[in-house]
Amino acid sequence: MEKIKRLSSRKDLEKLRQEIKNNRDPRQRIVSVSVSTCCVALGALKVVEAFKTELEKQGLKDKVRLKDTGCSGFCEQGPAVTIYPEEIFYFKVKPEDVPEIVTKTIKGKQILEKFLYRDPATGKRSQKLQDIPSYKHQLRLLTENSGKIDPRNIEDYIAVDGYSALEKTLFEMSPDQVVKEVKKANLRGRGGGGFPTWIKWETTRNAEDEIKYVIVNCDEGDPGAFMDRSLMEDNPHSVLEGLIIGAYAIGAHQGYVYVREEYPIAAENISIAIKQAEEFGLLGDDIMGSGFSFRVKVHRGAGAFVSGESSALMTAIEGKIGEPRPKYVHTAVKGLWGKPSCLNNVKTWATVPLIVLKGAEWFKSIGTEGSSGTAIFSLVGKVNSTGLVEVPMGTTLGDLIFKIGGGIRGGKRFKAVQTGGPSGGFIPEKHLDLPVDFDELNKVGSMMGSGGMVVMDEDTCMVDAARYFVDFLLEESCGKCIPCREGLQVLSNTIKDICEGKGKDEDMLGIQDIVTTMEEASLCALGKTAANPVLTSLKYFKDEWDDHIRNKRCTAKACRALINYYIDPQKCQACMLCLKECPVAAIEGGKDQVHSIEQEKCTKCGACYEACKFYAIRKLSAEPVPPPPPKGMKPIRKRKN
Amino acid sequence: MVELACQHCNYKWDYQGEKEYYATCPRCRYKVRIPEDKVPRVGRKKLSLESKKKTLTEKRPVKLRGIAAIVNKVVQEAQYDKGMLIQILLKLQRSFGWLPKEMLTEISKQLEIPLSQVYQVATFYKAFSLAPRGRHLIRVCMGTSCKVRGSDTILERVQNHLSIDKDGTTLDGKFSLETVNCVGCCALGPVMTVDDDYHGNLKLPDVDRILSKYR
Amino acid sequence: MKNLTLRIDDKDIPANEGMTILEAAHNAKIEIPTLCHNEELEAYGACRICSVEIERKGRTQLVASCCYPVEEGLKVKTRSPEIDKIRKTLIELAAVSAGEEVTGRMRELASEYNADLSRFRSKVQTEPTKCILCGLCVRRCVEATWDTAIGFVGRGVRRRIATFPEKVSVCTNCNHCYSVCPTGRISSIGADPKFPEVDDILAGRE
Repeated sequence: MEKIKRLSSRKDLEKLRQEIKNNRDPRQRIVSVSVSTCCVALGALKVVEAFKTELEKQGLKDKVRLKDTGCSGFCEQGPAVTIYPEEIFYFKVKPEDVPEIVTKTIKGKQILEKFLYRDPATGKRSQKLQDIPSYKHQLRLLTENSGKIDPRNIEDYIAVDGYSALEKTLFEMSPDQVVKEVKKANLRGRGGGGFPTWIKWETTRNAEDEIKYVIVNCDEGDPGAFMDRSLMEDNPHSVLEGLIIGAYAIGAHQGYVYVREEYPIAAENISIAIKQAEEFGLLGDDIMGSGFSFRVKVHRGAGAFVSGESSALMTAIEGKIGEPRPKYVHTAVKGLWGKPSCLNNVKTWATVPLIVLKGAEWFKSIGTEGSSGTAIFSLVGKVNSTGLVEVPMGTTLGDLIFKIGGGIRGGKRFKAVQTGGPSGGFIPEKHLDLPVDFDELNKVGSMMGSGGMVVMDEDTCMVDAARYFVDFLLEESCGKCIPCREGLQVLSNTIKDICEGKGKDEDMLGIQDIVTTMEEASLCALGKTAANPVLTSLKYFKDEWDDHIRNKRCTAKACRALINYYIDPQKCQACMLCLKECPVAAIEGGKDQVHSIEQEKCTKCGACYEACKFYAIRKLSAEPVPPPPPKGMKPIRKRKN
Repeated sequence: MVELACQHCNYKWDYQGEKEYYATCPRCRYKVRIPEDKVPRVGRKKLSLESKKKTLTEKRPVKLRGIAAIVNKVVQEAQYDKGMLIQILLKLQRSFGWLPKEMLTEISKQLEIPLSQVYQVATFYKAFSLAPRGRHLIRVCMGTSCKVRGSDTILERVQNHLSIDKDGTTLDGKFSLETVNCVGCCALGPVMTVDDDYHGNLKLPDVDRILSKYR
Repeated sequence: MKNLTLRIDDKDIPANEGMTILEAAHNAKIEIPTLCHNEELEAYGACRICSVEIERKGRTQLVASCCYPVEEGLKVKTRSPEIDKIRKTLIELAAVSAGEEVTGRMRELASEYNADLSRFRSKVQTEPTKCILCGLCVRRCVEATWDTAIGFVGRGVRRRIATFPEKVSVCTNCNHCYSVCPTGRISSIGADPKFPEVDDILAGRE
């Protein structure tokens, strides 16, 4: 590889960009395979190897370029392969399918229907991404380039006009102008708080200290959220560019990127991006000859959800335990090592180059009055098309779940959607027409948070779901202050008793006192918002709680202590599948003998329920279990139609 | 200095001792044979009385051996910066597999941090293990999306299959089980990782199939 | 040092810039209860008993007075039915891990606020430890000797105070930890029950 020339002026960057674009023939055949974590989990690396071998075998190694890219948002449809220049999108490709694809599509220019995107709800196949219903309703600003560029190659990013916002900032704008632009655009922090970004930047900028820091928060602890991981893996340069622009506006010369321990590929990609940017002179001393110097270091997390809180993150970077501290003196004034520090989420930093390049007016025109721009959600749970979606603020929840998500999996009924992670709450069906933005969701008791959106259907027990969040926070609490540490312990044990059928009405009175104390007196936001899941669950699903406490019945038939499994002798076909699956050998029966479950041995694990293909096993709750069938009863064979 | 690789636990390290035939692996304590062509030859000259006295009285620089040497390599790379404590512990955890007490004491000595603070950090974060781990680390994701899709039954199945509890290690030292709060593959729930491999969209029979591949 | 005035309980109190509400109140002989605070040590903010209500820009909120810096014209209320209820619940929650057999400052506060120390005890099955993890003993020990014999291990509910056997020789029996312990866990002859050793905690024996 030729020696990389360090860019020492604005003209150098423009010349380089033109050179890269000229060297790329738009008609060249490119096969790009998505290698983000989800696709790798489904076997994408084997597909890449298969392509390498097959292209070599068929003599196409020099004519067709094989590229690794990030993800295009259809997480369950991986591994995903895109063929340029025709823009043919193939999904669920296996290594065995590669020879056929190379022969028929790359050589033969024939489109293979069986690999095109198949809508999980309607079954329709679509060739172009724009025809896919879930894609049509999105507005992919930040994630547009994720499926197109190789995250480990800075030239790909420069070719799609990357670093032109940085160019404009360093040579055409003063730091004050940048802050004014961000203020006009009404950019609000995408980490969960929704705090106006320009106020943080201005406070840090005006603080009296020579040394200032900027920090990227990629400690996405919210379970069910993976937007930051995706952005960091697929387009790390956009985050880096935003960080450099922010540092210029604030006057900081040292930046930190904090990536959590569970994201190894994201940490690797951002480290490679930083190294490449330094080689090209876009980081380090005298960036592009502008006189501005800036350096970035990557710090890894070590497995603590609480270290995602801004003051705890700073103590973690200092090498101490991640305990939050009271923020009466803001971290923007006294943060990392006592110096003014500006901490923002990955998505906030990635939005900054767009605002600088396309203008604040354009940004404000998208979204609602109070929240401009787009929001990225991880739509997961019991929907048909799970994945990352980017929509303008103001889209309703119903549109998100039914139009883009394709409705509930398996034809079941929608029950609730959980937003905002452990600090958010459950939103029931009656609020489905709520537009999504920072302020609207607060009114119903939840919050937008970082963007996790978990959809639950009729088989999810809301008491169990509240218990899950309380247990999660109990494990992740730092343990410094009394209300959070002890309050969560008492809450967890109370709800556990309710789920096991030992609940009493008096328990609920004690909960109210604890919840008020936690909300008012806790040290940090984890403790203050810890009770939100319990409160919203109580508010909207009180009947389920009453059922659990008074009738010892679980409406969704999910709490193990309150349900029994029963094999219907009229439907059982004596296929012995459930017998083999049972881990405690609690099922009696034979090849021509109807099966029955011995209730004393049954551990309610549900393995038999999953295994039965004839829907012969039923779950009963608070109903008397019918007696077992007479011994030797023969199954009623269903006639095959 | 000889680079040795332990044939029992695959751990590689720089051996700085003077033994000729066998060295002891710092991680698993097995005896590792030193290849013949790499044996350090120590000269055995007969020393006169004066030179013996001279060697006894002159100060020798302290040569770090074993765990102290392993820790020193990482601490030197971090330039003895106290703020890099967590990054140093992470590197040692990843390369050595676990953090024995001697290692924590060495870190406290070399970085000049009180031992109580090193322990505080090592027990606060979940990534650090102060007990030896099995050869393969199984992590079952317990995030919201995975839970809604039934990760509890997957965890139970793994526990039954290996006869261990959460945070336990099998008796033969092959597997360690841990739960993790969200690996970021939420769309493919329920998810399980074994070492660096991710396995998604799990159904109960998949668990047995995946675990048998690693045996 | 700028001089400013704030209003605590409808009284004008003078203070210097850089003080906290607790310091200003103590100077004016106004009583605010604390459990994890000591004048000679840095403010920690763990027990939350010193919470007071402040009014700022038209909004009221509850803050920990040991950490909140004074501002000109700040309105502070140290007692009210809501604040008393929260302090009472805090003491009852602290007793979940500590148990009912506490003495010292915590017992005094419990009787002052009519806290029922066994209210939430029935919900948990752990042994009472007489420790509320206020951290005063550890922080005092750090001031006395840099390399302490006791320290925190673990996180969340599993957080405990442990001793390090190698460092026990560092302990000079200065008894400073006894003088600051608010629950009576550390008596004049040492901790009773003794603090567990760190190896026992890690092995799960404690």
